Amino acid sequence: MDSIRKSVIKADHEIKVDGSVKYIADIKFNNSLRAKTLRSEKAKAIIKNIVIPDLKDGYYVVQGKDVPGVNKVKVIENDMPIFADKEVNYIGEPILLVVGPELEEVIKILNEIKVEYKEDIPVFNMRESKDIFAKYQYQKGNIKDAFKNASRVIEEEFYTGYQEQAYLETQGVVGIYEDGKTSVYGTLQCPYYVKDAVVQALGCKEDKVRIMQTTTGGAFGGKEDYPSLIASQVAVATYKTKKPVRLIFERVEDMSFTTKRHPALLKYKTALDENNNIIGIDVDVILNGGAYSTLSSVVLQRSLLCAIGVYNIANIKVKGRVIKTNTVPSGAFRGFGAPQSIFAVEMHMAHLAKEIGCKPLELKNKYLVKTGDSTSSSGKFSHDVKLEEMIEKAEKMSNFSDKYEKYSKENGIIRKGIGMSIFLHGCGFTGSGERDFIKAKVKLLKYENGIIEILVSNTDMGQGLQTTFKKIVARVLEKNYEDIIYKNPDTDRVPDSGPTVASRSIMVVGKLLERAAIKLKENWIRGEEQTIEENYKHPDLIPWNIQTFNGDAYPSYSWGINVVEVEVNTITAITEVTGIYTVYDIGIPIDETIMEGQIQGGVIQGLGYASCENMECEDGKIKQHSITDYIIPTSKDVVNMKNILVDNPCDLGPFGAKGAGELTLVGTAPAYAIAIENALGVKVNKIPITPEWIMEAITNE
Amino acid sequence: MSKTITLKINNKIITTEENSTKRLLDFLREDMDITGPKEGCGEGECGACAVIIDKDLINSCLVTIGSAEGKDITTVEGLKGTNQFDVLEKCFAEAGAVQCGFCTPGMIMAAHALLSKISKPTEDDVREGISGNLCRCTGYNMIINAILMAAKRGDGLW
Amino acid sequence: MVEGYLASTFKEALKILNEKDVIIYAGGTDLMVKNKNEASLLPKFSKDLLYLGNLSELKEIKEYDSDIKIGAACTLSSLLRVESIPEVLKKAIRNIASPAIRNVGTIGGNICNASPAGDTLPILYALEAKLKLVNINSSREVNINDFILGPGKIILNDNEILESIVIEKSNFNKIYYEKIGARKASAISKISFVALAEVSNQKIKDIRIAIGSVGPKIVRVKDGEDILIGRELKDIENLISKVKKVYSEKIIPINDQRSTSIYRKTVALRLIQYFLNIELEKLEGGNSNE
Repeated sequence: MDSIRKSVIKADHEIKVDGSVKYIADIKFNNSLRAKTLRSEKAKAIIKNIVIPDLKDGYYVVQGKDVPGVNKVKVIENDMPIFADKEVNYIGEPILLVVGPELEEVIKILNEIKVEYKEDIPVFNMRESKDIFAKYQYQKGNIKDAFKNASRVIEEEFYTGYQEQAYLETQGVVGIYEDGKTSVYGTLQCPYYVKDAVVQALGCKEDKVRIMQTTTGGAFGGKEDYPSLIASQVAVATYKTKKPVRLIFERVEDMSFTTKRHPALLKYKTALDENNNIIGIDVDVILNGGAYSTLSSVVLQRSLLCAIGVYNIANIKVKGRVIKTNTVPSGAFRGFGAPQSIFAVEMHMAHLAKEIGCKPLELKNKYLVKTGDSTSSSGKFSHDVKLEEMIEKAEKMSNFSDKYEKYSKENGIIRKGIGMSIFLHGCGFTGSGERDFIKAKVKLLKYENGIIEILVSNTDMGQGLQTTFKKIVARVLEKNYEDIIYKNPDTDRVPDSGPTVASRSIMVVGKLLERAAIKLKENWIRGEEQTIEENYKHPDLIPWNIQTFNGDAYPSYSWGINVVEVEVNTITAITEVTGIYTVYDIGIPIDETIMEGQIQGGVIQGLGYASCENMECEDGKIKQHSITDYIIPTSKDVVNMKNILVDNPCDLGPFGAKGAGELTLVGTAPAYAIAIENALGVKVNKIPITPEWIMEAITNE
Repeated sequence: MSKTITLKINNKIITTEENSTKRLLDFLREDMDITGPKEGCGEGECGACAVIIDKDLINSCLVTIGSAEGKDITTVEGLKGTNQFDVLEKCFAEAGAVQCGFCTPGMIMAAHALLSKISKPTEDDVREGISGNLCRCTGYNMIINAILMAAKRGDGLW
Repeated sequence: MVEGYLASTFKEALKILNEKDVIIYAGGTDLMVKNKNEASLLPKFSKDLLYLGNLSELKEIKEYDSDIKIGAACTLSSLLRVESIPEVLKKAIRNIASPAIRNVGTIGGNICNASPAGDTLPILYALEAKLKLVNINSSREVNINDFILGPGKIILNDNEILESIVIEKSNFNKIYYEKIGARKASAISKISFVALAEVSNQKIKDIRIAIGSVGPKIVRVKDGEDILIGRELKDIENLISKVKKVYSEKIIPINDQRSTSIYRKTVALRLIQYFLNIELEKLEGGNSNE
């Protein structure tokens, strides 16, 4: 029998290719009302008064006072209102919905509504904000002594910018109130997050709310918590109007006002002894959370946990805070704090190497973690770490070291450069969230005729769960994956197997499905309908303590090496990527082609993060807020990649698979930046690296 | 001035009294219930709305039904069932060219338009051919492989 | 509600234009974005429309002994398929937007939109294109640099249609074109640069340089070109800083969401230097930047 990893045709391939699959905007809901959002024009103000004109029959305004339950969006904290009614904290904050049968009239009413504000002084600069959403700190060894005994201290600061998910399908939800029950359809990642939020908004019993995911056209974290806000809004609206309410975002609205990757300032301070050994690293991270806390505390946790990257340093101190600014709230985006930290630590190590006078890889090799080492939070890398083998493979594929040497000596108009990054990603939810909050449960339903249905709350957003989950169950039960049923989750029918985030779906939920399938196999009764349930079992780990920020933050890790080769035109400061090589350890792939797709897509998003995806917030407004001005790569901007996987099965995941969804984005930026440094002899401390910056750097040489 | 507009969509003759300045994309999605072409940006940048008009790849969000009158309009729904579609479908599957699927109808139309003009494209030709179709999931290379594969397999079809 | 008019002949279109207050368009790729409304709503046109894209009289391409006449409603991609269209214009067109946009957008539209970043404009300025403007009674010919007054401002009268563009045939044997955008497709120019030179017997017989996106209008500086005309190639190196100084005074780009003034200016001057230093020395007819 072929290995499970052998590629198959994706289960949802046909309906996507022939255009028949329906996304939320494609579905016709009878008698639905169109909704548009009235948004704050001020970054920080008290709402004094809202003057609403006379409304035509059938047209409604839905605002804070219409919320039957709690006017707060249930995320981690309850700080974000569903409809801002007392004060506003960012330009674009939703104040109310105008709802009605004709969109033109809805917009007309919207433009006639007058909001009276009493303005306050907003804080835009993340360095200036004193308002802290969350802060953590942890240590290992004796950092005080390390700096006391240091021969040299090297200090620098890094900055990483906003990144917009730019999913091709914009945000959209439809709320329908019928017979005392509120249903919300939408493009989303976490049906139960949305359900909890809507239950809180309506102040009703859980069985009065039903959430259904519609086929999702990309998400990347941008539909992790944001849909809870708009679902709550349409739930309240449909509850008030007793008619279906449709809220689909235009692109400019989506880009201007939905959550983005946290901009970050990361300070690294390293103590070197007289032999140039790294004896201590001190890290201080500030994340810009925007106006509300959303998921920021967990983003910060992950950012701090990978602040030392793949290096085993005896004495470390890592601290960080997420601060509030009167700007669009930041949220989840593939990587979730890791891309920021991995960029900083990889660049810092490369810069240290230069200071010391050795090659970056030489220095990095010296401190690479090994199997059994303690993690920076005093957990343990208990599963095999194959970095050495991976680096060797990356070298062989790309000829990195020779090229790095050669390119650093070049002159001429076109300068070549090559860079390598080494990184990791903790698989699954940070800390003890999986055990204490999510408590995932899966169900397998076997019909009388032997057909099996997967009942989980995880969603396919393009990453292929429709296929990989089916493969796992089919393989155990020796069935054809095409005969397994797995519909877009409906909270009326599926248990809460947790959100589709944190690279947990395959490893955690897939493992539960594997166990459920084994149980079903062992207890199979022909001709009878059977339901098998499996509940999450927390593996044996060093207990995680959030207060001391100590222990195993993740049950296992996936690893990656990226090598990026560039050519920089010194006349125009334009950089062309000429080669990309990657080596990944994700355990084993459940489907090779799907995994290849995750690699290619993630790497290119990482490349955009490093180069062309420039997003600035000026006076509280996002400047690059259209798909014309926010630049994501086109087909002409990418090159073919050489990607290989190193097998390293982990018993925590199904068939040995680990988390992979985010890892592939995390490492491209530093590889690209180091390549630019190699090409031009400049020092990069900030991404995105724009031609404008490069031009300044080379003219100032 | 009430005017009837006649359009040929997926080989069917359609007459409508909708305003001639209505976007073709809206006419397809709302009046014809043809939802393959998508609204990704409404600015002609993302290509999710791409259709073929008289053999040319065109962003339907930038075209009024008035200026599309008398022309031959094909969406992915109209391409379905042809031998060319079958080859593209199989190659897109094998090459792993579909993830979330939102850009896919536009990519299929771009592929078909390209192969109809260049039946044996180079890799650069393909990159150029889909350069107006944004994809956020795949990083493009697997789509390009799919189209090159289709050109080989579909020898004689285009 | 806005109406759309369709004419079956050019004459008919001129008549409608003479009688009604309409917006004329042939492709509409800029127009539709400018007047964009929410999905499912009609575009926000302030006036009725007159569609010219189907008029064969506006899509003719005629080659004469000394010049080429291009119909204003020729789509950008159609021009790529015609042999007589100068290669340098094709280079610029290939870098415009994407295939789908080029299949609809027209050369006339690119000119009349008069964007400081219009990609065909630097070429047309360098080639000293002449524009034929026609109304129901008469026609006139104007130079392109007189036609465009500033961003979005043209001297086209309300009852006139740009009928065609006339480009003189030329003997330029050194051709250099560079477009800098944020990415390689679907990018509005941060700066675009064209340089054409006629070099014979190691002497510059004629030279034209035009730069886009560095000011409200395309920048072409005759004074700068005159420094070089008639000079020998071996003397060019010594003239470069003088030439750059002349251009520096005329290049006044802005900061915007796409790029910065200093980047645009720096690149413009570097490209001038690059062309004079290196491109001019290259072998006959060769263009190295692609």
